[in-house]
Amino acid sequence: MKLNELEKNAKKEIEQSVCVDELEKVRIRYLGRKCELTRILHSIGDLPMEERPKFGRVVNKLKNELEGLIEKKKRALEKSKTLPWADLSLPGRRPFIGNLHPLTILYQEIINVFIEMGFSIVFGPEIETEYYNFTALNTPPDHPARDMQDTFYLKDGRLLRTQTSPVQIRTLEKHAPPLRIISPGRCYRVDTFDPLHSPAFMQIEGLWVDRDVSMADLFGTLKIFTRKIFGEETIIEFLPSYFPFTEPSADLWIQCPFCRGIGCTVCKKKGRIETLGCGMVHPNILKNMGYPEFTGFAFGIGLERIAMIKYNINDMRLFYQNDLKFLRQFNESKL
Amino acid sequence: MRVNYNWLTEWVDIDLEPYDLADMLDHLGIEVEELDITANDAIFTLEITPNRPDLISVQGLAREIAAKTDKKLKKVIDYQIPEEHAQNKEFALAVTTESKEDCARYIASIIHEIEIRPSPPIISERLEKCGIRSINNIIDITNYVLLEVGHPLHAFDYNKIGKEIIVRRAKNGETIKTLEGEEKELTNLDIVIADNKKPIAIAGVIGGEESGVSETSRTIVLESAYFNPTLVRYTSKRLKLSTESSYRFERKADIGMLKNASAYAIYLLKEYANGKLVGKVIDTNPSPYIHKEVSFSYEKVNRLLGKDVKKEEVDRIFNKLSLQKRGNDNHPKILIPSFRRDIEIMEDLAEEIGRFIGYDNIEATFGYRSENPISLEGKEILAVKKIMPSLGFYEAMNIPFIECSWAEIQDKNPIELKNPLWSDKSILRTTLLPSLISSIKRNLNSGEERVAIFEVGRIFTLDDGEEEMIAATLAGEIPPNWYEEKHPIDFYDLKGIVVTLLEKLNIQEYKFSGCKDSLFKEERALSLLINTETIGCFGLLSQDVCKVDIYGVEFNLQKLLSGSTKRIKFGGTYRYPPVKRDLSIVIDEGKPYEDFKNAIKDAVVNDVQIELIDIYKNSSVGKNKKSLTFRLELYHPEKTLTDEEIEEDMENVIKKLSKLGAHLRK
Repeated sequence: MKLNELEKNAKKEIEQSVCVDELEKVRIRYLGRKCELTRILHSIGDLPMEERPKFGRVVNKLKNELEGLIEKKKRALEKSKTLPWADLSLPGRRPFIGNLHPLTILYQEIINVFIEMGFSIVFGPEIETEYYNFTALNTPPDHPARDMQDTFYLKDGRLLRTQTSPVQIRTLEKHAPPLRIISPGRCYRVDTFDPLHSPAFMQIEGLWVDRDVSMADLFGTLKIFTRKIFGEETIIEFLPSYFPFTEPSADLWIQCPFCRGIGCTVCKKKGRIETLGCGMVHPNILKNMGYPEFTGFAFGIGLERIAMIKYNINDMRLFYQNDLKFLRQFNESKL
Repeated sequence: MRVNYNWLTEWVDIDLEPYDLADMLDHLGIEVEELDITANDAIFTLEITPNRPDLISVQGLAREIAAKTDKKLKKVIDYQIPEEHAQNKEFALAVTTESKEDCARYIASIIHEIEIRPSPPIISERLEKCGIRSINNIIDITNYVLLEVGHPLHAFDYNKIGKEIIVRRAKNGETIKTLEGEEKELTNLDIVIADNKKPIAIAGVIGGEESGVSETSRTIVLESAYFNPTLVRYTSKRLKLSTESSYRFERKADIGMLKNASAYAIYLLKEYANGKLVGKVIDTNPSPYIHKEVSFSYEKVNRLLGKDVKKEEVDRIFNKLSLQKRGNDNHPKILIPSFRRDIEIMEDLAEEIGRFIGYDNIEATFGYRSENPISLEGKEILAVKKIMPSLGFYEAMNIPFIECSWAEIQDKNPIELKNPLWSDKSILRTTLLPSLISSIKRNLNSGEERVAIFEVGRIFTLDDGEEEMIAATLAGEIPPNWYEEKHPIDFYDLKGIVVTLLEKLNIQEYKFSGCKDSLFKEERALSLLINTETIGCFGLLSQDVCKVDIYGVEFNLQKLLSGSTKRIKFGGTYRYPPVKRDLSIVIDEGKPYEDFKNAIKDAVVNDVQIELIDIYKNSSVGKNKKSLTFRLELYHPEKTLTDEEIEEDMENVIKKLSKLGAHLRK
């Protein structure tokens, strides 16, 4: 058989193959060990010396070309191979996968923002003494917060911390400033369990003590925090406020995310929502700790409050009722 | 407190619309909770921070607005008590204060020939707008003065009290019927105003019914006093009586305002009730207040604010706030007026400057200064938490109070609350399980078929203090679907989860043993041991406490993590394929699988993976017998095992198993 005739036949047969098996037969016929092409190649000895290299090249080129065509056809045939019909609308087999609690998801997010800013994370006990929870934090002896109406006391005279600030005192006892810490954890106050209150809640407090830390630094730190948590475009404002452990004190307000500042029922037509309290550490506290030459700022973030604002939740009790219909809605990647 | 716009404009010119005024007040730290705009007025509901009692009045607010908007006050309360008045023996009165601590000053004036009638509209309308019900001209005037200048007054019917007023502590058990008609029992922590017989008012809180002004009153005693703020607060809280008066006294009303408030009321009583001052005005402490000075430094305050506020600007703000500068500019002292006793230190002055330049004029900065020793506590807790959702669990959170019966069941010494919120939940949780059990039940009741929740949190006991725990509960059934029948959750679902958790936490050395924890059902529970220490238990929870089948686990988190291998060591991959052999044996029904699995493991020389792929019970196996089918995967790190090597291992296995009473199933 002539070479170009073989080429024409082979290509035609490849083209006309309707299944993988048939194509395999074609391959064996033309490219197999005992095939036409091999035979032709072997006949190279009959040619004059000078024509042999050229002939060899031509045959090899054809061989490669046919291999390529067969491979291509094979892929095409495989693709069009049909499987029995299956009802693909049936539901898939799903593994059971749960969720972290929304407060944990938000907790991680907040902690990470402060870790990036170089804060340490420090824990402390939930059962505290009056000294760490009040006295060391400049709370006057007759301050209402110390009442049994506001603070849970234990029968042995200790109490459940009403804020995580005692951790700040404990840390300052162990480490001299400068320092930057975040103290997260559960706190307790005698509050009814209602849409806006809970007797136990999560708090994340921050403290930065250094030489000449200023209010400008406080505002800068919290600006970064709010933008990372509520989005880069979040408009924030600091308004004067009062806390016994800071002076000057401020409240951080963010533009109401529900009405974008126009005023709605959520923000009581203010266009902004009170988000957290902060201020410059009261000099009495630093003086008592033995660091009168330092200044510092502190802030306290109520995790439930931030979550309520961020996810538009109107009832704090939902965080503590563990209803799967609630918990299922908080996929980490969605938030 | 509530205050209306028009009353404020009587004190200071306001160029701002109510809405803008509200915004300005917010920016001064005077939070406007609600703004109610009416046809020709507007009512502000304000949340006044506890350090600013001076702002609980029209006068105080006007002062603040005037300072911020650079205006002068249009009105000044500066009435003098008329000097001449008829000396009349008929109107004798003596005042004694037992303790200056309890009552720093008491001014009593007697007003005669009053005509009781409704108040003129100017008074009654303003009272109503500010949330106080109009009663009659006398009572209304005391309230009007309270609202306008911030100092509470009280009026007694002169003819219904003895001719002696004693400010003293109540005797334990002494009672008084208040203006609201309620009988209140008093203690020696309450200050009372008494005549020579009995209490006629609870000082700073509420008057007594008998001594109060009525339609028939002709002569009154007007009280303007200063009572110990802490005691007023205790009394008000204890008696659950919060009044306009107690609200101001407990926040330290302005002691410098007593005389003015009296004089103003006397003026209004003359004007609107035709009352005449008779007898001598009694004042127990005519000059009680010593002005306070606070040291100041321009430079330090600027450093604290992080803003360069010019000296002239600071001076201007101080001037507007009636803060007088004394001494030279290097070491100035600031004289604080009586109505601003919240200002005690330089930082308080810094806040005043910050408020008046506006916090939004302090440019936010962020800069690292010193290095910070990084410690990141709680990392492990998060790491454990994150594994649980992949095992099918939702994270729960609970309020950590439980019933004390739980501690009894556990035989633990609980930490008791002195003032529990819920009387039945009076201890701090000694286990995380009770709340999780409740949550499981609630979810099952609301129609969930399979509920799996976990919690990480602290438990509290007298013996061990605070311990971080992880607990999980699992209940219900795997619901039916098109590829699988429904089946109830059982012990092995939980055991698989526990083992996976241990694997994910890199805990390799552990043991299971019998469970003696009374929260669990002994026959369906195991305890986990790491290094011979008990970490906790898992299994079916005791029916006595649950009533439904709930599987639970509770581990001490720190102890659990102590078993975790911190460093991961790569063990190589096996390039040579394993050889699989299935082996069915018949054993006594009561014998544990694990003995036989361990026997196989011991018998095999090569590396082996053993899976239990079937358990079979049937008459063909024999009575009280069961058949176990193991799948063995034998492999070698460096070669493919030969048939001979496999056979040798298998022979060893069979020998060893038969020693344990097992025989091959035919």
